[in-house]
Amino acid sequence: MPLSYYLILSAIMFLIGILGVLLRRNPLIMFMSLELMFNAANLAFVAFAAYHQALSGQLFVFFVMTVAAAEVAVGLALMVAIFRTRHTIDVDELSMLQG
Amino acid sequence: MNLSNNPLLWVTFLPLAGALLVALLPDARRSWIRWTAMAAALATFAASLWLLAGFDPSSGQMQMVIQVPWLRVAGISIDFALGVDGITLLMVLLTAFLVPLAMLSAWSGVRERVKGFMILFLLLETGLIGVFLALDLVLFYIFWEFTLVPMYFLIGLWGYSRRIYAALKFFIFTMFGSLLMLLAIIFMGLQAGTFNYTDLLAQRELFAGAQLWLFFAFALAFAIKVPMFPLHTWLPDAHVEAPTAGSVILAGIMLKMGAYGFLRYNLPLFPEATLRAAPWLAGLAVVGILYGAATAFAQKDAKRLVAYSSVSHLGFVMLGIFALTQQSVAGGVLQMVNHGLSTGALFLVVGMLYERRHTRDMAAYGGIWKVVPVLGALMLAVVLSSAALPGTNGFVGEFTILLGSFGAPALGTPWFAGLATVGVILAAVYLLHLYERLFLGPLTHEENRQMPDLNLREVLILVPILVMVFWIGLYPQPFLDLINPSVETLLQSVLPAAVAMH
Amino acid sequence: MGNGDISPLTAVLPELGLLALAAIILVLDLFWDRKARANLGWVTAGGLLLVAVLSVFMAQPPETPTLIWGGMLRLDGASFVFRMIFLAGAAITALMVSENQRLSAQGEFYALMLVSTLGMSLMASAADLVMLYLAIETTSIPLYILSGFLLRDQKSVEAGLKYLLYGAMTSAVMLYGFSLLYGFTGTTQIYDIAAGFSGQNGLPAVYPAAVIGAMLLVLVGFGFKVSAAPFHFWAPDVYEGAPTAVAGFLSTASKAAGFVVLMRVLSAAFSDQALVWSGVVAALSIGSMVVGNFLALAQKNIKRLLAYSSIAQAGYMLIGVAAAGAGGESLPYTATTYYLLAYLATNLAAFGVVAAVSRLTGSEQIADYRGLNQRAPGLSLALAVAVLSLGGIPPFAGFFGKVVVFASGIQAGLTWLVIIGILNAVVGLYYYLTVLRVVYQRAEEVEGETPLAIPAAWKTAAVLSAAGIVAIGVLFLPWYNLSMQAASSLLTFR
Repeated sequence: MPLSYYLILSAIMFLIGILGVLLRRNPLIMFMSLELMFNAANLAFVAFAAYHQALSGQLFVFFVMTVAAAEVAVGLALMVAIFRTRHTIDVDELSMLQG
Repeated sequence: MNLSNNPLLWVTFLPLAGALLVALLPDARRSWIRWTAMAAALATFAASLWLLAGFDPSSGQMQMVIQVPWLRVAGISIDFALGVDGITLLMVLLTAFLVPLAMLSAWSGVRERVKGFMILFLLLETGLIGVFLALDLVLFYIFWEFTLVPMYFLIGLWGYSRRIYAALKFFIFTMFGSLLMLLAIIFMGLQAGTFNYTDLLAQRELFAGAQLWLFFAFALAFAIKVPMFPLHTWLPDAHVEAPTAGSVILAGIMLKMGAYGFLRYNLPLFPEATLRAAPWLAGLAVVGILYGAATAFAQKDAKRLVAYSSVSHLGFVMLGIFALTQQSVAGGVLQMVNHGLSTGALFLVVGMLYERRHTRDMAAYGGIWKVVPVLGALMLAVVLSSAALPGTNGFVGEFTILLGSFGAPALGTPWFAGLATVGVILAAVYLLHLYERLFLGPLTHEENRQMPDLNLREVLILVPILVMVFWIGLYPQPFLDLINPSVETLLQSVLPAAVAMH
Repeated sequence: MGNGDISPLTAVLPELGLLALAAIILVLDLFWDRKARANLGWVTAGGLLLVAVLSVFMAQPPETPTLIWGGMLRLDGASFVFRMIFLAGAAITALMVSENQRLSAQGEFYALMLVSTLGMSLMASAADLVMLYLAIETTSIPLYILSGFLLRDQKSVEAGLKYLLYGAMTSAVMLYGFSLLYGFTGTTQIYDIAAGFSGQNGLPAVYPAAVIGAMLLVLVGFGFKVSAAPFHFWAPDVYEGAPTAVAGFLSTASKAAGFVVLMRVLSAAFSDQALVWSGVVAALSIGSMVVGNFLALAQKNIKRLLAYSSIAQAGYMLIGVAAAGAGGESLPYTATTYYLLAYLATNLAAFGVVAAVSRLTGSEQIADYRGLNQRAPGLSLALAVAVLSLGGIPPFAGFFGKVVVFASGIQAGLTWLVIIGILNAVVGLYYYLTVLRVVYQRAEEVEGETPLAIPAAWKTAAVLSAAGIVAIGVLFLPWYNLSMQAASSLLTFR
């Protein structure tokens, strides 16, 4: 398959991801959308690595996956802390801060 | 060059040293604080006399120049450079003379937070003297801005009811003008590769192409400070809300920073732009004279009246400067000193009245001549000096300015001077009106009967000023001898451009 | 300066030191009882000082910038100078935290802060996209936790979550940009990317529009780290909710890390697109100055005010970056680095005072600062110095920072941008002076309140940063030369 197919798929995933983060209000879904964005980048990395016949792109993907996991772990921990006292995690109802 | 023997350093940093010393004293020891501050101010005055003694009045060049490299930005050196010529010297003397008197006026008026007051006052003095002495444009700017902070606090903390509004307005107005000046300073420095005043002067051709813009940026900063009509609106507010001592320094010295800036920077650095702008600025000066006088006449508040009279009087100074003749500029410089003395004294007298009755409304007084004859007599002398009666300093200054600007080629028509003459008459009208409302006529308010006359301290404040008033009024020659060579040097660097233009 | 060659291991000694320090803190946390743990702040600050000494004497960068660890890190002036900035910021923050009962007794707090500092140090020296990405995340993830550290405080946890969501999103966008850069050039080495665009490494040359697209994606991530508008939305909420000391750390060290990466990547990888990014950065700069200054005017909470002020300050610093793209030589980056130094001392002082006051009085409302002067004259003076420096009043550091940044703009021909900066500085003064006015409000208007007792660690932090503000300003030259060392190394490629 030509490189462009992978890239178009990756761009679509990225767009779905970013729209999800911007439009959805449930942090869990936001995290899932974030994962989509990360994986869009991963897909692009892998596709490019195959195209360039170079390993560095594939290597990058491993690091990204690890980091994304760490990020989500912290995020879930914070969500649990919020849920314990508020019993909701809807971002719009997180209104202690004025923003 | 032995720096410790240079009076310039002493006169600049003695007040700062005094401020540090005061800062070390315990808060509660108010009289220690007052006397230490006064000692520092008097020592500064002594240093300024030392400066006068070492000054060679026959030369119009910068003297006793100090130049020490300080900063380096993009390969361009910013120096710690100070120097003095006749014009600068008079300004420094005026500052060192007025500060102890203003301090004395706050002796009993400022009761709370004496320490902070005195520290800020001494910091202000260092800033003011630095502005006059600086010979490096960045250093000048630093001192220029530095004066804002103590004055902001003096108005904002020790002022009257609307002090916060007034202090903010004062700060924001002046800062707006000065930041554009900073832009111009950086631009010139990058073009010429130096921030040193003397070097910039020698290489002014390098930025001659942009000189209209540069002139404008400098002029805006200075015109706000002077203040020139229509940029004067901060002045009445700041004056009315400032404590007496603050008003004296504001009117007596800080406004002169603007006029001094025009003389020192605008004229020699941008000669062609100066010649082009001269009629416009002189025109604004005349409008200021008439507008200030008319508005002063309409005031009910004595302090506000004096504030507007400043707008009018500074108009004369600006007219003298932009008429660009030897006589008119020399008159302008002398008038800067005169205004510092007379208006300073007016603010002191109004402050003394306020301390007695806690109102500045002229209607609350009237006919108090019989109750406080000493105050009345001294105030009469002050008012007459401000109204430029012959025999007082004001007359000498304004007369020289008018004489010098009648035939000024830079203005091209005697109308400027002619209209300004009307201002002299108006000044007499509103000042005598002020005096009449306060002191003459029947005693309308019973409570004024108990008003105490001046005490020794208050007399001691006014007498030195009046001595100077009559000295300049009757025998101005020593002062003009100081001014003339420097003005000559200054104009020599402006006028060749005039020849080139015509 | 420095010795000719330096072994790869010695070069990362400071980073190893930070790691060891974090481990030591965790161990001490285990074995010390609660009372002894209150001293962990001093231990951290002392350890950081030691790392700084190590950095100066062992890990000075070589004369010519050198790539080490397989091109992952670059040893140069910038990595050295910025490491010092991060160490100083972390040390002062540690002191500020140390008397705060809710934070100080927990070793994790210091350990996380140290790991984050380690990440920043790597950000400043990263020369490869892989390293850069990892360094950014090593910096950010501990900061998310630190922002939400007060688990019982809803505002703090919310701040942590908000910061994480914004941070993860912008870093994903940036990562996508990285993947495109890799795809276009076949390399992740930052210093090889520029050559790859023009087809010098055997690949076809790339459309300019595609390069610019990738650059914009990358700029989103960097813009978030420096809190430039329009990527600033997180800042006010996070600063308000996070523990004050963390907010101070975020606004200084973390911002500085963002700036060094921004400067390095733009100059090294996008040298052929300089005029484009100069324009984009100028737009970011204007946006940040306007948004920061005008929204700050309406703030009632001092931490939110400082947050908007920090957005505005990022705008002034961006003038220097824009000037670098428009053709200034080393002056622009020197100016931005100097400004960051000045800003480090200034904002740490400001946040330090705010942290102290909010712990002592329990309030973050500006109105409650009334008469602070009578209750805590020392803190008030430190705050006054900081606020005047932020407003750009001489002789404080902030003034000189503005002068050099504006000078770099004028030199590069961006006079219009400098004029916008100047107009903004006047607006900025208004709210800075408002804070000052409240602090020094007159005696009789404050009800008889008792003087505040201030712990020694806070005093040390306040004195250090206030002295820094004056020293960086008045003793201008050494700091300026340091900044120049950083700037010129950023502009040396190979």
